[in-house]
Parts: sequence; structure tokens; C-alpha cells
Amino acid sequence: MTKKALSLTEFIDLPEETQFETLYQHAVYVGKRKKAQQQVVLFQLHGFYVEVYYKLYRKEIDHIITSNSTDILQPYLEQINIIELKNKKTGEKDM
Amino acid sequence: MTQSLPPKSLVLYADDDPDDIELLSEAFQVYSNNVELMTFSDGIDLLRFIETIDPEHAAPCLFILDINMPRLDGKETLRRLRRLDSFSDVPAVLFSTSSLPADAAFAKNFNAGFVTKPLHTNQIHLIVDEIIEHCSDDFKNNIRKKNGNNK
Repeated sequence: MTKKALSLTEFIDLPEETQFETLYQHAVYVGKRKKAQQQVVLFQLHGFYVEVYYKLYRKEIDHIITSNSTDILQPYLEQINIIELKNKKTGEKDM
Repeated sequence: MTQSLPPKSLVLYADDDPDDIELLSEAFQVYSNNVELMTFSDGIDLLRFIETIDPEHAAPCLFILDINMPRLDGKETLRRLRRLDSFSDVPAVLFSTSSLPADAAFAKNFNAGFVTKPLHTNQIHLIVDEIIEHCSDDFKNNIRKKNGNNK
């Protein structure tokens, strides 16, 4: 059976518990960050993104934010240490 | 009279995320009378540790491996563990942030379980039970008996 991809609008209309269950079962983890002492985890679900804001990490969810724009990736991309990646790549060449 | 305590079962857990380590350590507290959870920040540290132990006397009863780790990820760690004669049969679980079917298939190929990290608190104790479910029957019976749970 082919699973129907959920649209952002359909996801928003789901009850909260069903949203969490859908994220748990089908979303792909993208990254984690801290915003004002709050842990935030970004998931990709079908063609959109969901950020989970925790009151207590992996215990109590404060709220979620959804978006179909890749702008939501920006703070996660900023965390990537380019120098470290570059050094790693240079090191691999040297091996 | 001196009474020696039975040795604790050793569970080895590798994860680069200190928050996830803290979460699972807390969840394993319920088994703290009979399980010792040792944690490592990546697969290399875990593999280095098992080189130092004598499998005849202190064989781990379970490996829990985060998939995304720097230096050596959970999948490669699992692959290497399965090449080691002394540890090739020890139950293992890939502990992942996503339910990717490809990762689940990888785990199955290497005779390991696959468990997704919890999204919120209602799932954490179910997840520890799910992890324990991959251990040997002897281990499960032993800890359930000691915890007064005869499931």
C-alpha cells in the first residue's frame, strides 16, 4: 500500500497528539539547537518542516512551528562548523 | 557474614548528544539495582572500551548505538562489533532520531533492533522496555524478577 504524503495544511489540522505521533513515526530528524535556553528540534516531514520547542527536552513539548520554507534551516546551517569540515576533508586527502 | 552482591548486567550506550545520554540514563534508573549503564560519546570510545574487557567475565548484555555520531557512527560501530567473535552475538539496538526504513533494514541485516528516540515523555519508559526487549531471555527474566514485574 502506498502511503499518501501529508500536506502542511492537513498536518496543521490534525489533533496535537496525532501530530506528535505522525512526527515520531514518519519525520526525519534534521537538527537540534538552543533558543533562549529552550531546546528546539527540527524535523522534515514529507515536503515541509516542523520545529519542536521543548519545555523539557524529549519530555514536555511547549509548542511546534511548521513551515514549508527552507529559511527554517538557516539557524541549523549556521551551526555547522565549516572550518572543521574543511580540516576533515584535508585530513582525508592526506591519509 | 559477608554477602556479595550479584554482578550487574552491563549495558553500553554510545551517543554524542549529552541530553540524550542524560535522558536514557534517567530512564534506566528503574533498573539500577541490576543494570549498569556505561556511556560513550561515540563508537570509537565504545570499541576502545570493549578491547579492554574480558568477555568471559564482564560481557555486556546489550549495546545501544546512536546512529548519527561523529568519528564513528552507530551503523559502522555495529558493523565492527559484529566482526568481533566475542561480541558478535551480543544484542544491539540502533537508537535513532528518525524512523528511516533504510536504517531499520540495516539494523535487521546486522541482527540488531531499531528504536526511535522519544518525542516526548509518554514514550520514554515504553522505549526503555522496547530496548530491554532485545536482550536475552535470561537477562529479561532476571531484571523483571528483581523489579517485581513478571510480564
